[in-house]
Amino acid sequence: MVRVPAHERLVLANGATLILLPRRDVPLLACQALLRGGSVSDPPTLPGVASLVAALLEKGAGARDAYAFAETVEGAGGSFAAAAGPEAISLRSQFLARDQDLMLELLADALRTPRLAANEFEHLRSRQIEFIKAVKDSEPAELIDAYGRALVFCGHPYAQPVHGSESSLARITHAEVLEYHRAQFGADRLILVLAGDLDMRQAERAVSAAIASWPRAGVRASLPSSPPSAPRVLLVDAPGAAQTHFWLGTTGVDRHYPRRAALDLVNTLFGGRFTSLLNAELRIKSGLSYGARSSFVRGSVAGEFAIRSFVETAKTVRAIRLALQALERLHHEGVSAEMLASARAYTLGQYALGLETAADWAGALAEIEFFGLGTRYIDDYPDRLAEVDPDAARAVIAEAFPTPDRLTLAVIGDAERIAEQLSEFGPVDSMRLTDPDFSPGALAHEALA
Amino acid sequence: MRRTALAPSAALREPAPAGRDGVRAQVLANGLQVILWPVHHIPSIALNLWVRAGSRNERPGITGLAHFFEHMMFNGTRSRGPGEFDRLMEAQGGANNAFTSDDVTVYEDWFPAHALELVLELEADRVAHLAFAPELIESERGVVASERRLRVEDNNHGLLAERVQAAAFTVHPYRFATIGSPQDIRAWRLEDLQEFYRTYYAPNNLTLTLAGDFDTETAVRLVRRYFEPIAAQPSPTPVREREPPQGEERRVTLRRKVQTPLVQCAYKAPAAADERASAIHLLMSVLMEGDASRLHRALVEEQQVAIEVGGHWQEGFDPGLLWLSMTLPHDTPPERALAALDAELERVLEAGVTQAELERARNLAIVGFWKRLATIDGKAHLLGEYAVFHSQWAELFEEPRRLAEVTREQLRGVAADILAPRQRTVGILAPNGARSRVRP
Repeated sequence: MVRVPAHERLVLANGATLILLPRRDVPLLACQALLRGGSVSDPPTLPGVASLVAALLEKGAGARDAYAFAETVEGAGGSFAAAAGPEAISLRSQFLARDQDLMLELLADALRTPRLAANEFEHLRSRQIEFIKAVKDSEPAELIDAYGRALVFCGHPYAQPVHGSESSLARITHAEVLEYHRAQFGADRLILVLAGDLDMRQAERAVSAAIASWPRAGVRASLPSSPPSAPRVLLVDAPGAAQTHFWLGTTGVDRHYPRRAALDLVNTLFGGRFTSLLNAELRIKSGLSYGARSSFVRGSVAGEFAIRSFVETAKTVRAIRLALQALERLHHEGVSAEMLASARAYTLGQYALGLETAADWAGALAEIEFFGLGTRYIDDYPDRLAEVDPDAARAVIAEAFPTPDRLTLAVIGDAERIAEQLSEFGPVDSMRLTDPDFSPGALAHEALA
Repeated sequence: MRRTALAPSAALREPAPAGRDGVRAQVLANGLQVILWPVHHIPSIALNLWVRAGSRNERPGITGLAHFFEHMMFNGTRSRGPGEFDRLMEAQGGANNAFTSDDVTVYEDWFPAHALELVLELEADRVAHLAFAPELIESERGVVASERRLRVEDNNHGLLAERVQAAAFTVHPYRFATIGSPQDIRAWRLEDLQEFYRTYYAPNNLTLTLAGDFDTETAVRLVRRYFEPIAAQPSPTPVREREPPQGEERRVTLRRKVQTPLVQCAYKAPAAADERASAIHLLMSVLMEGDASRLHRALVEEQQVAIEVGGHWQEGFDPGLLWLSMTLPHDTPPERALAALDAELERVLEAGVTQAELERARNLAIVGFWKRLATIDGKAHLLGEYAVFHSQWAELFEEPRRLAEVTREQLRGVAADILAPRQRTVGILAPNGARSRVRP
């Protein structure tokens, strides 16, 4: 059974948390750093600042400019990737074990003395805007969460796109990036996990030397309040699209939700695996779609519960109805003991596969530390799963799974062919896929008010 | 592809990994090749079943059949109803996927150690006794059509690549898109499926690999119990088509309602088993792996004519394609980006690469190899790749040596062999109504 491997945890005087986990199956060293902050700390009208700061961490730090930094990382065969999430900037790195000192040097430089150069900022910003256009051209499904969240969390930081919009990115200045780093970076925000073929003593010394003199951040990390949610319908027009992408969502539950095991099992059965109720309706029985899934995003406060799928344009309404009916049936019928047994076996069987490598463990331990969950979150999980019976499942369905009438619908598709029919799900707001924001004007305005 | 996007097989290279002595390989009397790699760091097993059949084995009228067949393999056998395969496997903690390429179809299962017997039984059952229920064929046509809309019709990268591939080959079946043409997807008959099954899903055309938490003797016994009764079949007719030398550059131009133009260059390249394979992988890495790579630095960072460069070598049984592709900022004319790309490639042809660039590529390859070896999934997959495309699974363990031996001269040599405009097909996807001339 999966158990958290032996590791060391220490908190430096300046508040930085360091976790070391030795593992010697391959000569690699993995690092996962989380820096509290993220897009919820973006200026309210400027989503995308944290994301740009994160991307700039790789674009020169300490004595190295952008090219020298990349050359040093890749010259050693290493990787180094920073990205913003809603609540943290995450930094992932992997090197050959022989390059432990180099990896720690680059990491400390990126966190403490990133160059954040104006020319790199300008280029990254314009590239990010072009990336959004490119994704709209070819993979609009990648953006459907941004549209859905803008609707569901209207007025809350979660409504803002983590990586910004074409319009917000165009408004962000270099000064805002520098200010974010000044205020939001500091030792007390840092969780650093090193896992792999590790020299423990040397790593501890090196990290302490690099981080111990780092001051605390200028401000305390802020957490958003619980988000609101009111059902709405949004149609994002993609003229000529062969298929429709849809998203049905609303506020879910947070990371400390006490009935996590039951939640996981019920979601596995509803939309978390191939034979789930949703996939059975939309793919297996009807052949309508290549796939349909549901998931919860569980942060320090509740993110969304959402259903996502896609379907040939002409069958849009039929597919959305089927998804809603599947949810309705979950509420009416619950799940049987036999279904729960299958979901439990599946969840446990796949759980081990997600905690296989040193990098997997670095990610898992960082997350546990970040949310203050404790290692029992992993160690006791099988026992918690074993306790879930149909009554517990029924309770979690009533409490955490929304009824269909609470869901917000976001659709990307060919408006000319589907706009009228969508009105059966409520009054429809519309915008174009090429619009530079993720919500129609009125909503964006409300969000800022 | 059944459920997840899988990049074309990535580069394989590296220093001698431990574990070789533990690997056991044998060929059953019916021709099934079995390779087992026991490792015990997690209580799980990864299984790969490689079928030597892909869109390379198709002809006009049945394009997409290999891929469609991959879907049908989940839809029931003589003794198990539709959906039973997934239901039984998931109830024992297992998950699965599958993908189809030009050359092969690969079935993958990941499951807890205790489910080994069930999974082997399920796999053998569908290899031996697949059912072809007409109503499921129809419903699965819908699923595949949805997959095609996702990957091709609504995805400009996929759409352009399909057209480029069709133009690059005039004779060889690599000209067919693996997903198939929309007309053919609607048109296969039951007999086509049955014939394909008989021909290619025979034990002598399969390689089974297992990596993970099992006892080798037990695993061998179970594999024999379930697979040995399946009868061998006559070897499939070899693919004999040979693509004639290209001789001149070809062009494909598409106009779509898009904001960002795309440029793809597909060069004729050797087969996977070519002795220059390691040098080709390292050349690709020098050109486009990471922010310090040649093309990224020149085209994305300095000249800013692309927001992204990428590429891969389509390694197959027969000589195929090596792709270099660019996504452009909305206001960059494709011909300008193409000229910038050509200037960079010209520099490589003239002056070769530096020793530092070669070492960088080598180190990236080493780390990439270790990352794959760190998982049971990576091990099962590597064994399959080497057994199928290099005829020898043990070659996997020689890659480090081959990698260490690659020289700058060899990189320059493969660049000269492959990166010539006269043996490439250029695909350009430009916005509707753009005024810039696409062809200089």
